[in-house]
Amino acid sequence: MLLDLSEEHKEHLAFLPRVNSSVVAEFGRIAVEFLRRGANPKIYEGAARKLNVSSETVQHGVEGLIYLLTESSKLMISELDFQDSVFVLGFSEELNKLLLQFYLDNRKEIRTILSELAPDLPSYHSLEWRLDVQLASRSLRQQIKPSVTIKLHLNQNGDRNTKVLQTDPATLMHLVQQLEQALEEMKTNHCRRVVRSIK
Amino acid sequence: MEGSNEPALDAKAKVTNQLVDFQWKLGMAVSSDSCRSLKYPYVAVMLKVADHSGQVKTKSFEMTIPQFQNFYRQFKEIAAIIETV
Repeated sequence: MLLDLSEEHKEHLAFLPRVNSSVVAEFGRIAVEFLRRGANPKIYEGAARKLNVSSETVQHGVEGLIYLLTESSKLMISELDFQDSVFVLGFSEELNKLLLQFYLDNRKEIRTILSELAPDLPSYHSLEWRLDVQLASRSLRQQIKPSVTIKLHLNQNGDRNTKVLQTDPATLMHLVQQLEQALEEMKTNHCRRVVRSIK
Repeated sequence: MEGSNEPALDAKAKVTNQLVDFQWKLGMAVSSDSCRSLKYPYVAVMLKVADHSGQVKTKSFEMTIPQFQNFYRQFKEIAAIIETV
């Protein structure tokens, strides 16, 4: 699969052959660092001063490189396809080799970072429970009504939130039975076959 | 708690939220994941509050018996002062 680079993207990348390969390697390093930690605009200004160009040019060059790397890593394109995609930019043999090596060296890490961008549903962290007996309420006195109070701790996008729920023991039993049934499903032939075929 | 029969000229409804319902229960915690043998009484309160747009929100909280006694004392004081007004 070949990458389809837009005209704007090609323009941004056109900056790369204008600097020597050690600078391109440095841009590549900055690009991956930005993927890890987020962009730091001050770096663009420093580089722009040293190279005697506008900081926007540097920014476009680095961002073009970031996009090239993330798209290639996302689609997991082959060496050959990467080379052919970059070929249309008309860079030197040396620059093409540099970019390819950079792609291959960083592809795995970039894919790991990209996998963390998938939408995150709240997930289980921990659970606290308490068994209560209700003795009275505004509407009824002299009761003995057992109930279970549960504090569910959830993780979502790195934040913690909690949900407090209350139920009676019979419903809790039912909940446990349903969950056990869900686990049992994993052992059925159908599920086993599906899991085996994905592996 | 029903809405009061106050005249529609009542300005407070636009300024503060209104207490729509006050439910309570008295319970005793008997066991928990961190402590298996308890005898811990508490009061649980569930408030329904309506904001000026009419949207009703529920808030619930629990109090230990000492906390509840403090809570109760506040209302006794409020009632006493109202008598003098």
